[in-house]
Amino acid sequence: MPTDVSNPQYYHKVVDCQWACPAHTNVPEYIRLIAQGRYTESYLLNRESNVFPGILGRTCDRPCEPACRRGRVDGKPVAICRLKRVAADLRDDIHEFLPAIPAQKNGKRVALVGAGPASLTVANDLMPLGYEVVIYEKHQRAGGLMRVNIPSFRLPAEVLDEETQIILDMGVDIRYETPVTSMAALLSDGYDAVFVGSGAPKGKELELPGRHETDQVFIGIEWLANVHFGHVDRIGERVLIIGVGNTAMDCCRTSRRLGGKDIKVIARRSRPYFKASPWELEDAEEEGVQIVENHSPKRFVLEKGKLVGMEMDRLRWVEQNGKQKSEILETVLLPCDSVILAIGQENSFPWIERDTGVGFDDENMPIVDKKTFASTRAGVFFGGDAAWGPENIIWAVEHGHQAAISIHNHCMGIPLDERPAYGMNLVSAKVGMHSWSYSNDYSPAPRMKMTHAELTKRFSKLSVEVELGFTLEQTVAEVERCLNCDIETHFTSNLCIECDACVDVCPVSCLTIAPDGPEPDLRTRLSAPALNLTQDVYVSAALPQTKRVMVKDEDVCLHCGLCAERCPTAAWDMRQFDLLVPYAGRRLPIATLPSGHVDRPVSAA
Amino acid sequence: MGIPVSGKNVFPSNIQGLPTWYEIRVSKDGHTARPAHIDLVVALNPATYAKDVAAVRPGGWLLYDSSWPLDQALAREDITILGVPFGRLCVEAFTGDRERTLMRNIAYTGALVALLDIDMDVLGEMIREQFAKKRALLDSNFRALHLGYDYAKKHFPCPLPIRLERMNASREHVLMDGNTAAALGCLYAGATVGAWYPITPATSLMEAFTGLCKRYRVDPETKRNNYCILQAEDELAAAGITIGAGWAGARAFTSTAGPGISLMSEFIGLAYYTEIPGVFFDIQRTGPSTGMPTRTQQADLLSIAYLSHGDTKHIALFPADPGECFYMSLAAFDLAERFQTPVFVVSDLDIGMNDWMVKRLTWDDNYRPDRGKVLDAEQLERIQRFSRYLDVDGDGIAARSLPGVHPKGAYFVRGSGHDKHGAYTEDAAEYQEVVDRLAKKLKTAEEAVPAPEIHQRNGATAPIGLVALGGTHAAMLEARAVLAGQDINVDYMRIKAFPFGEAVRHFLDAHETVFVVEQNRDAQLRSLLTIETGVPRDRLTPILDYGGLPLTAERVIGDVARHLEASVA
Amino acid sequence: MTSIQKPPVRHPSLQSNALGLTRRDYEGAMSTLCAGCGHDSVTAAIVQAFFELDIPPHRAAKMSGIGCSSKTTAYFMRQSHGFNSVHGRMPSVASGANAANRDLIYIGISGDGDSLSIGLGQLCHAIRRNVDMLYVLENNGVYGLTKGQFSASADVGSKSKRGEPNVQKPIDPVLLALSLGATFVARGFSGDKARLVPMLKAGLTHKGFAIIDVISPCVTFNDHEGSTKSYRFTRENYHELAAVDFVPLQREITAATEAGTSVSVTMHDGSIVRFREVGSEYDPTDRDAAYAHVRTHQERGEIVTGLLYIDEQSSDMHDIAHTVERPLVELPYESLCPGREALEKLMDEYR
Repeated sequence: MPTDVSNPQYYHKVVDCQWACPAHTNVPEYIRLIAQGRYTESYLLNRESNVFPGILGRTCDRPCEPACRRGRVDGKPVAICRLKRVAADLRDDIHEFLPAIPAQKNGKRVALVGAGPASLTVANDLMPLGYEVVIYEKHQRAGGLMRVNIPSFRLPAEVLDEETQIILDMGVDIRYETPVTSMAALLSDGYDAVFVGSGAPKGKELELPGRHETDQVFIGIEWLANVHFGHVDRIGERVLIIGVGNTAMDCCRTSRRLGGKDIKVIARRSRPYFKASPWELEDAEEEGVQIVENHSPKRFVLEKGKLVGMEMDRLRWVEQNGKQKSEILETVLLPCDSVILAIGQENSFPWIERDTGVGFDDENMPIVDKKTFASTRAGVFFGGDAAWGPENIIWAVEHGHQAAISIHNHCMGIPLDERPAYGMNLVSAKVGMHSWSYSNDYSPAPRMKMTHAELTKRFSKLSVEVELGFTLEQTVAEVERCLNCDIETHFTSNLCIECDACVDVCPVSCLTIAPDGPEPDLRTRLSAPALNLTQDVYVSAALPQTKRVMVKDEDVCLHCGLCAERCPTAAWDMRQFDLLVPYAGRRLPIATLPSGHVDRPVSAA
Repeated sequence: MGIPVSGKNVFPSNIQGLPTWYEIRVSKDGHTARPAHIDLVVALNPATYAKDVAAVRPGGWLLYDSSWPLDQALAREDITILGVPFGRLCVEAFTGDRERTLMRNIAYTGALVALLDIDMDVLGEMIREQFAKKRALLDSNFRALHLGYDYAKKHFPCPLPIRLERMNASREHVLMDGNTAAALGCLYAGATVGAWYPITPATSLMEAFTGLCKRYRVDPETKRNNYCILQAEDELAAAGITIGAGWAGARAFTSTAGPGISLMSEFIGLAYYTEIPGVFFDIQRTGPSTGMPTRTQQADLLSIAYLSHGDTKHIALFPADPGECFYMSLAAFDLAERFQTPVFVVSDLDIGMNDWMVKRLTWDDNYRPDRGKVLDAEQLERIQRFSRYLDVDGDGIAARSLPGVHPKGAYFVRGSGHDKHGAYTEDAAEYQEVVDRLAKKLKTAEEAVPAPEIHQRNGATAPIGLVALGGTHAAMLEARAVLAGQDINVDYMRIKAFPFGEAVRHFLDAHETVFVVEQNRDAQLRSLLTIETGVPRDRLTPILDYGGLPLTAERVIGDVARHLEASVA
Repeated sequence: MTSIQKPPVRHPSLQSNALGLTRRDYEGAMSTLCAGCGHDSVTAAIVQAFFELDIPPHRAAKMSGIGCSSKTTAYFMRQSHGFNSVHGRMPSVASGANAANRDLIYIGISGDGDSLSIGLGQLCHAIRRNVDMLYVLENNGVYGLTKGQFSASADVGSKSKRGEPNVQKPIDPVLLALSLGATFVARGFSGDKARLVPMLKAGLTHKGFAIIDVISPCVTFNDHEGSTKSYRFTRENYHELAAVDFVPLQREITAATEAGTSVSVTMHDGSIVRFREVGSEYDPTDRDAAYAHVRTHQERGEIVTGLLYIDEQSSDMHDIAHTVERPLVELPYESLCPGREALEKLMDEYR
């Protein structure tokens, strides 16, 4: 069966980064805009889908990067996240390009609980539609977890302030230091819809002997918040961090800045099983933090009421019936002055009365529809960590977009599952005989390494940002590493004369003209066997002369365009794919600057 | 008998049935050039009697077969005609047409032994040597010899006033033709691939090489050949084979004459531009076109110097005699590999096919070929990037690599425009960089090729200078000697190679009057000298001899004398 | 032409050969030929053949003359020495190189202009000489570089791009080679690599002169309606004699059982060329039958392809010249120079 490329999702999947991004950010295009020095446009394109480019350019969990095709080609993905920061850092003022907010409201009022990324996204999507939006926030500032849990050496307050303020400035009625204590009361305020974006603010406890006999054991996210608010400004010299997720990384690195000298992160498993992103681990280790694998905490050891260490079992993991089982090798004492627990977070909804119609499951989690984000009570929606537990910022943003669509449908009387469809634009990238609207040459450059502030400098003050951002030279090199996966190889089978030129020229052997057959069989009969089953193979309609089919293994296609350049009949063409992502009530126009507008010269002189 | 001697075979371009002459010069002074006048003509062929009779100098002799009377119309008062009835004598003494015909020639020899006082013992030994394996013929030959000898002794006053006398002037000499000597040079140079297309007068070079290889180049263990000689379909292919083999790393050569040179022109340009060594023998014959294939000339000079289209220039060596054919063949291979370019050995029919008395060839076992700059596998392994046409040493010569040696040495030979790395280019600067280096390379070659041989009396410069090259050397030496006898002191420079070095220019500058003696109509050497040295054309007076026969000293003497008289008048 | 060089990356599942090299390691510079040129396909087939035969690239020598086809030697095996000589005269250069170094694997690439017009004589004599080389004649019936004149292989009636029919009779390189005594004669099609690659491998393994006439359409000047050398015409009039399998020596053991009834020819190095589906009616070692077969199908307007004739018993150039096994370029000078004593003795013979 010929592949149906008229379904936008076929080509969308080819764009690995965009496909992996919960918000489907059009990564290749924003990278190209950076390459052209069009930072403002690049920022706006980002903002359309991920809302917080400056914040995410520093803190995103980057699901796009492990997916990046470049990683399959030379082992290292494009530094997508840090290029996003480049666009944010170098852009001009964007206010004139923001959507207009109607003076005449549509009469619908929506309450958002918590001013984290999910709620802010809902506000961002609904304000231009004329909604009146009220946000209830328990702290004095907006941002939620982005503000209180992410240390400022990773995310400077100015960046956070600016990007949250852009949304608030749309006319959002934000009520600081106003925690919602009763859902019933909120519902009685007559809001047309309520969105719960209050996060998963409760750090998990570790109930071991001695836990409560000392004041030197802290819950990670609470401790980070206290640091943020200035309630805590020092820690013991010897610190143990229990857990090895990204919160643990923030805790250990913050400790380093508050007087910690001998800091150990304790992990039950070995490195491949760590939850923390590899780059966060690297950054922590760079700062002298020690990662201790295969240790399981047993008890807190106190002497004369003072915490002096923790007893741990040293483990060995063995496979048993396909499952990893631990064996205790020995028990060791790790001396310490303080312990920070960073073993996870939980949702907590003490303020939602169980009789409001908002249903909860056996684990005391709200019942939320995966697609519509609707609770069991009409008009109440959940999103972000509040929906299904801790995720990350970019997921929260996508939740916000989807919830906004639902809220809009709800308010407008449209069934929630009648969701606007994805669309696509597909335009030939050919601009001349052998010239394309993108840089099709493959750059063999290795992934650029982010420059960090010197250790002494960064430890001098909590708010010294560690990552200095890419230099112009690094930016130029890094954007060229992008394979432009959105410039799709588009095949028109009835033009093909089966000359083999495309097959022969393809540097990565991803094309084959072969007799048709079932896909599993076809995959073995290609120029190079298509063994990566997560990647599609494209199969054309029967070719005119021999009735064989053109097969393309998408796996490591470089999108270099050589197949199209060597095609004598233009059966192969390179076409720019633009996924049209639906948003609440409208499709946000991509703000375009006057053509040819270049913010800054991009050449690395 | 130890007497200096030389022979010139004057033969037609035909297989059977047209007349042939063989001229022998015997000179106690050691002159070996073709003489202007003939003392004794042995007329073997009635069809050419008229020509033969006319060829005898006044006071000379004609020996002929008087079995049939000589046409009275041909009789000359100023010569002595000696008739011996060879035919009749042989008919009486021998049976069978073939034997009668063959023995008649020996009978002539017998008559000459008597007339010239040749040592019968020496001749007898030669006949015994010749027929050592054919005993039956020995007796017939001696009988025939005596038929002529006895008749002459009986009827004529023997010996004649011109006669031979035993000397000791040729002990360290051999009698050899230039093509054989050149073939021997190729053998000793270590040439392994020979390619050719039969053409007079170059054929005998490759035939001699084949004979030598069969004798010296068969592997004693496997009985297989340590050489490969390919008779090609034409001269183009012969050149192609030579270049292909040179590229692959063999010492390869081809031998041809003018028409072949014309055909090879395209390939020579390729070898020049792609810098592939090869040795090309041009045994010059009379042109243009087919010309007179069995007559000699020096008329390929200009075409060889710049053979092929585009800017080209080639190294050429000009042997004067078979001895130099040997040594210059050797030098040609060394120069070809050192300069990575085609090298021409420009001989001619006279040198190549006639027997010359030359010093015994000698050999130094310490000789090792100069293979030039060739990177071996180890060097290539170490090198970061091999650039085929990069001038590292500043002498215009880039290092080359041979196919199959190392992957890093691989490059693409192309006759199309290329840059110093060997890559295709149409860029003006990149193209010029390469061709400018080629010019520099040929400039370097000027002082690496054999320097001219300069003959001066006591090291003092005479006002008159003679310039010549190649096979006219014997005649030039004789002319200089004769002129010296007439109190005309001339210096003489024999050019041995092209491109010309500083010494050539210096000689021309140092002489008020310069005669350029050469065997072509258009004064090609003079043109080359003018082009290459910048010496004004008017300062060089040509002496041109281009009838197809070897130059005589008289021709040079006469022209010089006439010119001097004219300038005095 | 292409706007960029071929990126130096490869598919992760691309296979390696016995030398640990991938197909990519056998590639050359980017082709500058027109997009869709049959020659590029032949180049790719050559890359595949050398790769599959595990030939170290630097032990191969690529020879060519002048023309579109001759340019292609630059487009495969960048680690091989290449020789782009003069028009029509590659066979002599290849002969000379082979004379000097018989251990290299020689592949000559030529075209119908280079081989059948200006170089016809050299081709004939290379066949006569039986130089051990593979000679690939990329045949498209036109002169491409000079913009579309008919070549000597153009069929009578085949139309030029401007619509004028060719009136002169063609020279068929296959019939020519058969009549000259060539010891390996085949015809392939650039658009059918599955069959061309084994043919090339057999040709590379053949001892002596192996000629493969490859119909290789010129997309720019000869791929139109009315041309008899277009992709479409060739596919429609393609008469496959028999596909061949090339079984290299070291892998023969595993494949032996499949031989069955098919005809097979053992190459001089012990590898085997097996003719599939050919049955008993065709004997690839019968020169006259091969000639007749090609002619018969030609009368019907069909293009016979396949390995048409093979003679593995013949003497090649070095057999004829009785040359030593060791390449001449590797013989030490000491074994070539007879030395002083021999010269002295020889001089005595010229006294």
